[in-house]
Amino acid sequence: MATAAAPLNQPLAQPLTSRASRGLWRDAFRRLLHNRPALLGLAIIAVFALAALLAPVLAPGDPLAGTLVNRIKPPSAAHLMGTDLQGRDVLTRVLYGARISLLVGVVSVLMGVAMGGTIGAIAGAFGGRVDTVLMRVVDVLLAIPGILLAIGVVVWLDRGLLQIMFAVALTNAPIFARLLRGSMLALRESDYVTAARSIGASTGRILFRHMLPNALTPVIVAATLALATAIIDVAGLGFLGLGPPDPRTAEWGTMLTDATSFYRQAPWIIFFTGAAISITAIGFNLLGDGLREALDPRLRH
Amino acid sequence: MLRIRPAGLVAAAAIVFAACQGAASPSPTSAPSTAPSTGASAPASSAPATSPSASIKEGGDLIVGLPGDMVEADPSLVSDSNSSYIHLNVIEGLLGVKPGTLGDVIPVLASDLPEKSADGLTYTFKLRQGVKFHDGTDFNADAVVYNYDRQKNAPKELQDAYNYYFGAVFGWGADSNLKSVEKIDDFTVKFTLNQPQSNFLISQAPLPQFGIQSPTALKAGDADNPDPGKSPYAQGQGGTGKSMVGTGPFMFKEWVPNDHVTIVKNPNYWDSANMAHLDSVTFKPYADQAAELNALQAGDIDLAQTIAPNDIETLKGDSNFQVIDRGDSCNVGNLEMNQKQKPFDNQHIRTAIAYALNKQSYIDAFYAGLAEPADNFMPPATQYYKPLGLPTYDPDKAKAEIAASGLSGDALTLTFYYPSDVARPYMPDPKGLAQAIANDLEAVGFKVNFKTEGWRTGYLADEATGKFPMWLLGWTCDWPGPDNFLVAAFFHFQGSKPNPEFAYGPPELKAAFDKGATAPDDATAQQAWSDAQDILARDLPFVPLVHSKPPAAASAAVQGFVGAGNLNEALNSVWLNR
Amino acid sequence: MLKYVFRRLLAAIPVLLGLSIVLFAFVHLLPGDPVAALLGQHATPELTAEIRTRLGLDKPLYEQYLIYLGQLLSGDLGKSVINNRSVASELALRFPGTIELTAAALLFAIGLGIPLGRIAARHAQGWTDGAVTVISLLGISIPIFILGYTLQFFLSVQLKWLPTSARLDPRTHIDAVTNFMLIDTLLDGRPDAFVDALRHLVLPAIALGSIPLAIVTRITRASVLDVANEDYVRTARAKGLTERRVDSRHVMRNAWLPVVTVIGLQVGGLLAGAVITETVFSWNGVGRYVVEAIQDHDYLVVQSTILVFALIFLVVNLLVDVGYAFLNPRIRYS
Repeated sequence: MATAAAPLNQPLAQPLTSRASRGLWRDAFRRLLHNRPALLGLAIIAVFALAALLAPVLAPGDPLAGTLVNRIKPPSAAHLMGTDLQGRDVLTRVLYGARISLLVGVVSVLMGVAMGGTIGAIAGAFGGRVDTVLMRVVDVLLAIPGILLAIGVVVWLDRGLLQIMFAVALTNAPIFARLLRGSMLALRESDYVTAARSIGASTGRILFRHMLPNALTPVIVAATLALATAIIDVAGLGFLGLGPPDPRTAEWGTMLTDATSFYRQAPWIIFFTGAAISITAIGFNLLGDGLREALDPRLRH
Repeated sequence: MLRIRPAGLVAAAAIVFAACQGAASPSPTSAPSTAPSTGASAPASSAPATSPSASIKEGGDLIVGLPGDMVEADPSLVSDSNSSYIHLNVIEGLLGVKPGTLGDVIPVLASDLPEKSADGLTYTFKLRQGVKFHDGTDFNADAVVYNYDRQKNAPKELQDAYNYYFGAVFGWGADSNLKSVEKIDDFTVKFTLNQPQSNFLISQAPLPQFGIQSPTALKAGDADNPDPGKSPYAQGQGGTGKSMVGTGPFMFKEWVPNDHVTIVKNPNYWDSANMAHLDSVTFKPYADQAAELNALQAGDIDLAQTIAPNDIETLKGDSNFQVIDRGDSCNVGNLEMNQKQKPFDNQHIRTAIAYALNKQSYIDAFYAGLAEPADNFMPPATQYYKPLGLPTYDPDKAKAEIAASGLSGDALTLTFYYPSDVARPYMPDPKGLAQAIANDLEAVGFKVNFKTEGWRTGYLADEATGKFPMWLLGWTCDWPGPDNFLVAAFFHFQGSKPNPEFAYGPPELKAAFDKGATAPDDATAQQAWSDAQDILARDLPFVPLVHSKPPAAASAAVQGFVGAGNLNEALNSVWLNR
Repeated sequence: MLKYVFRRLLAAIPVLLGLSIVLFAFVHLLPGDPVAALLGQHATPELTAEIRTRLGLDKPLYEQYLIYLGQLLSGDLGKSVINNRSVASELALRFPGTIELTAAALLFAIGLGIPLGRIAARHAQGWTDGAVTVISLLGISIPIFILGYTLQFFLSVQLKWLPTSARLDPRTHIDAVTNFMLIDTLLDGRPDAFVDALRHLVLPAIALGSIPLAIVTRITRASVLDVANEDYVRTARAKGLTERRVDSRHVMRNAWLPVVTVIGLQVGGLLAGAVITETVFSWNGVGRYVVEAIQDHDYLVVQSTILVFALIFLVVNLLVDVGYAFLNPRIRYS
């Protein structure tokens, strides 16, 4: 990845060998703290999370009701980010929007991990025919372009935040399934699982104590990166007219989509909302890359 | 009109297919020498004021941006505004509408307005002589009879599903109010009705669906195939003289679906004084208004048939462009309600809603001021219109009406549907309008529970079956008559029962409608339609919001364009100053 | 090798079959049906029932599926309920547009991404590396439609450098043979129109190519850095080979592998991105077609189009694997 903090010629496997006893996670955390881009990502996310939590305190206006005569006013002292098409304060809506966008993003990724992870873990743990069948199902899902799958789900299940979460989750699930299966399969053949098996550990113990925790590493990385795309995918659904049913909802994707038809008159709405989406995505991408490096030093670049 | 409408046919249709298109008549502005005298037609100088004829430049190719693609090449098979906008330049009817007006009926392929019998049952048309279709076939009484018979006896598969307007105006086959169309001689045709029909002239005049097409080409192109997909004529195959073959100032050239339709100048147009100036016109579909505006600004298109009102300011500041005002409105945008759904059965609630809404603020915000608050269920330019004195913005009166309704708490929650993915002339920003309405309603004590559906996916179908308690919708006229708004668009009856959309219709309303539709003379019609409007004002079944004037925009080079509130815009007068 | 390809193609059959069942079940379980979209407010219960019968929508689902499968096997993709046009001929009309767009986006991503990645790797940790990192970060973080509108606004509307939308100037008429504008313009002997088509392609290709560009850049950089630390590269360098020679003979040859894999993986994403890009740029392609079909519940169009998407996806993956094996002889076809 692009954010390597260490000099290029440093032996890559060094941290792992020298501190093997400290445990993977502690080690990873230490490396993460030394990764400046990752810290920046973490800071961005923390700021947005805080904004989301404190929105009612921080926000200067009403997120839902506006005054029409105030509509489309450029940024000023009274409205730092200007006002929107209903005369609402854009800053207020960006703050409240952080709540929904972060929530939709996190929940949809968690759902995706849960759905995909279950399939992948079962396939990887059992192998054989179970694996073949499940992976064919995953292949089928992967063969449908994600956005079309998501459109279909929202059209099918009707509009709403929960439906959008599920739609985005479903597009992510096959990726997680493949990922978890891949690492499970690799671990099945690994030395320490073989060792655990040879000293008579039960299948369940091997699965939960030895395989899953190690297989989760790439999933955590992928999930962090998927958060970035989840927030963008939700905006994309809104762009195609499939956002939440209450048009007043302060959801970034919907806000931005509404503003696109006004980008000549009110470019600031797109600018600030687009920036909020993009910066959050940047935050998750930075953190995800940092996690990847921290958890797997081989992939430092 | 009531009786002849196929039972249960949900006429509000034209919203979908924003009908109201246009004239089969590309403006015959002066009587051609070949034709017999045409009394009523054509003031000699109806050429648009903007184009002093001395400086008119001939030639050039005009590119027009439309909100969507043509659906079929045969006007009798479509009821959408995009198809009609193209067809009306190619195919003419017996009657047309004077350019720039909504409903001034003029003869086009008829040499004069028809002679009506005293009982209102027969209309006799004299036809224009020496006119040829684009494929060289002669226009005469046989062609007229063929076209009307063809539509009246359309295959079952085409009726209503494709061929809508003939059924809506006359009805089908044996049930049709059009008893017969007979050839008297080569240039005289007699129409006989079963019942007098007061909209006989005004309904046919603006609609290219009543245009006369070449019988030769229709037959050769298998135009009456029950499956239009298999008809080369309907699919626009073969080019000039094979498909979309009329007598108009432009001739069909080609259709590349979802990409463009091109029509070219008809050098042999019968009305030589109104020969097209342009060499060709190409129509391009733009699903997205922002993309269409970009295309206009970048010079990819010369004329945007519809632009978002909010983009007007952008264009007004730029001398390279002109914004076109279309004159009288021919639409109404409404907050509609279903009396079968609570609490809309309560007249106090409907009145409270009417008082709660600040219509002018919506007009300023969402229509760029190009609309007027509605005081009737039809626009002022409609025949027999009168102001009704409906409630205007007054939050205190709204609160008083709520108190008088005896309802409180959860009973004041209004389920409100809006379409998520569409802009219509009467509601350019439904999503924005819905939010502003909700804020006004919540300010007087209602709660709003929003629901939405895709325009095509379910909004129209579910609205028609009565699923919505309160919703945004409207109507653009097919023709500017009261029957088109009050009956066809809104309160048509199914047998003696009100339709399920509004679940509203007292017997006296039905009586007034029936009387108006079959009135043999003008005075009777006037009285009946006046009664109907009074009943509606008394009951306030829903709240009409605005009558809008959908703006168009063009490059400054476009001259001679004559706009009309119903989009009945023939392009033969247009020329390019470059 | 051929045997391997053949085996892979065989393995694709159950996937496509499964997909056809899933798609069929999915679209038929959607509430509402194409008849509603077809009739709009003209709908009456009798008319709806009649049209359903005519379209065979009243038959049991399994029977409808078998009919559909039979059609597919005889090469018939069915036709649209809404406008009666055959799906195959609509796809023939529109797929070239989407292929042209995605190919241009991919070319943009590869053509710019690989050099950027190599530069970044060569100057790792320097400011160029930082700049490239930021660009690729923005590439994956800015939604296509924001980028698309922004490009359109500045480059077409304000600066008027490039056309806003569509595939060709509407005033230009060329004979459609292949429906690839770049080919048809040349077949028609119109170099001016060819240039015009090329200019129309620029902005959508950049908007669509931004994500793959970011990814290709990142993976190239990572891959080059990885390989640069391998023993054989160090050895090569120690032997005193010129940096250029080390680069071309040792580094890039091996760094290609992950780059090719990632490019292959982008194709699915590009088809998805094309849906949005085509909407922003009014591009007459298959993405817009299928979105409209989903909204209209136009069953056969949705099923058949997504099946064709999937087929392309599988074939590209196969090509990538074959290419991978070609680049890396150590891999056995097994």
